[in-house]
Amino acid sequence: MMNLSPLIRLRVWLRLFLLQGSWNFERLQGLGFFFALYPALQKLYRDEQLQQVCREHAGYFNTHPFLAPSVAGAVLEMEQRRSRNEEQAVNIQDFKEMVAAPYAAVGDAMFWGGLRPLTAGIAILFAVKGIILAPLIFLLLFNLLPFWFRIFGFIYGYRNGIRSLEFLQQHRLPDWAIRIKETAVVLLGGVSAFLVFQQLQAEQIPKGLGFLAIPLVLILALCARRGISTLLLVLLTTAIIICLSLFGFEPTAWL
Amino acid sequence: MLVVDLILGALVALVCGLDRVAVLQIMISRPIVAAPLAGWLLGDIEVGLQVGLMIELLWLARLPVGAAVPPDDTQVAIAGTVLSVALGKLLGLEGIEFILLCLLVAIPFGKFGQFFDRFARTRNRRTMERAEAALEAGNLSAAELYHLSGIAKFSMAALGTYAVIVGGGVLLVPLLAPVLLSGLEHSAEWIRLALPVVGIAVVIGTINVNRSLTLFSASFGMAFLLMWLV
Amino acid sequence: MSIVLTRIDTRLIHGQVLEAWVPYTHADCIVVANAAVKANPLKKLMMEASVPSRVLVEIGTIEEIAEVFASGALQQRKVLLLFATTEDALAAYRHGLLFSELNLGNLHAGAGKQRLSCTLFLGSEDIGNLQSLEEAGVKISARCIPADSARPWRKLIPHKKGGAC
Repeated sequence: MMNLSPLIRLRVWLRLFLLQGSWNFERLQGLGFFFALYPALQKLYRDEQLQQVCREHAGYFNTHPFLAPSVAGAVLEMEQRRSRNEEQAVNIQDFKEMVAAPYAAVGDAMFWGGLRPLTAGIAILFAVKGIILAPLIFLLLFNLLPFWFRIFGFIYGYRNGIRSLEFLQQHRLPDWAIRIKETAVVLLGGVSAFLVFQQLQAEQIPKGLGFLAIPLVLILALCARRGISTLLLVLLTTAIIICLSLFGFEPTAWL
Repeated sequence: MLVVDLILGALVALVCGLDRVAVLQIMISRPIVAAPLAGWLLGDIEVGLQVGLMIELLWLARLPVGAAVPPDDTQVAIAGTVLSVALGKLLGLEGIEFILLCLLVAIPFGKFGQFFDRFARTRNRRTMERAEAALEAGNLSAAELYHLSGIAKFSMAALGTYAVIVGGGVLLVPLLAPVLLSGLEHSAEWIRLALPVVGIAVVIGTINVNRSLTLFSASFGMAFLLMWLV
Repeated sequence: MSIVLTRIDTRLIHGQVLEAWVPYTHADCIVVANAAVKANPLKKLMMEASVPSRVLVEIGTIEEIAEVFASGALQQRKVLLLFATTEDALAAYRHGLLFSELNLGNLHAGAGKQRLSCTLFLGSEDIGNLQSLEEAGVKISARCIPADSARPWRKLIPHKKGGAC
């Protein structure tokens, strides 16, 4: 059997955007992974063999959606070899199982834990300034890295097959995730400072009082760390602010 | 027209809601994008931007990791915008106080999103079982279609959450407006500041970074000093 | 004692553990007691590579891990202990690796397994294993991530088929 054509690979790549369409608690992304690979499997196998391979790929699978193309790329390369009856060091299902959880962990840390707060913080700054394009700036900033992984992960995976799993180890992605998260924390500190500063300026309150925001935020952060829900914190904070204002505690009036 | 506005909002709710889990995931589901989009369609992008700004950071710390389902901030942001613009036109109310009132009603309903989302994922079990049966029977393209039918369930979950929040808002906001609006008059600006700050606090409280609180305080102090003195 | 969390999770190390439980418990060491991972060097390597370098990862069979704990080598560490199955957890407990609480995270679906909640599927042997642990004094609860509330596992066992989650 020949290699998969670029068009087929493109179809698989595009279908990966629907990976989680039938997400369920039993197989998670399993059915979606079969769905994405199907155009390629159809080219590589026939009849009963095709059915067997499809059933295998519809089994349990779960990884980070932005890193799923890396897995899919490598699986395509391995399926090509298997369809030519080439000997392989690792069984394809074992490979999927081996990379899915580590990729999920790294993806969650990098994209959800790090990149999302970082880019949201930047977008907030633009939005506070009343810049209408803030949403577009956010979309651009956020998607740069995910699309880099979605595109080049797929290509890299297809080129390197099973060897693609070295990538995670060589580049120490989990440590990069921590760096992104640290940057996000620093940025969010700046964003909060800016929000507080603007408010004080608008209400004409002495700026030095702005530092009081630090202990207040830390108290909220510690509450969150102890597992108190965001909803409760929001409602409590709002209630306190409303009560204070109803009883005439106008911050401007103290001074 | 209220009905037209609600339907336009539902359209945004559907498109952005699917982005959360089922399709694309290019982050048009984030409040900072979804709310201005809804606002733009309803003719008031500024309100959308305000709502997006206040909701974006709120549940940012709740990561969609594995099977853990976070509250539906997408629908809270969209429904909050729709309520602020559409109901505002109807009742002749506007301004930050009214937006906040709509959000304070919408936010608790975000919990319903978790319920609908879980429901969609639970119902997808049947989709998966049917697809497996189709694969077993050798009907491979039917299995493909079953996968796509899962998207319909996520669509229903998105629209369901949107409907609950908007429905609750349409009932509650006019009732609460006379009582709460005057109370919000003096505090609105501070609550507008408090919402993103609570979100940031939850993020730095739960993020996987050593000494995140120290790092945050140092950065806050530094930035504040710079703005103050320079 | 140095164990900050004992958890059963079919997926062992993944996003929920690293992004939610590690910061919540301040763990600086993750111990995986699983013979299958230990036996597969590539799998072991990948699992280790998914953890940031400041968190120590220890992967071994139940017996090895029980010995490591008995030797007191991890006394100074805040350990997050992971098992893949209820069977492993019970075996470790019987090997003298004592823990007072057990967290049920994700247990995947399988033939003959009934659904306790969205992420928990237990077979009759699983229930037997958990019962033995409970009789030994272990407090068992279901909690996917720290933001969820802990629910005692017995309350989740359905009396009739189906049920919401």
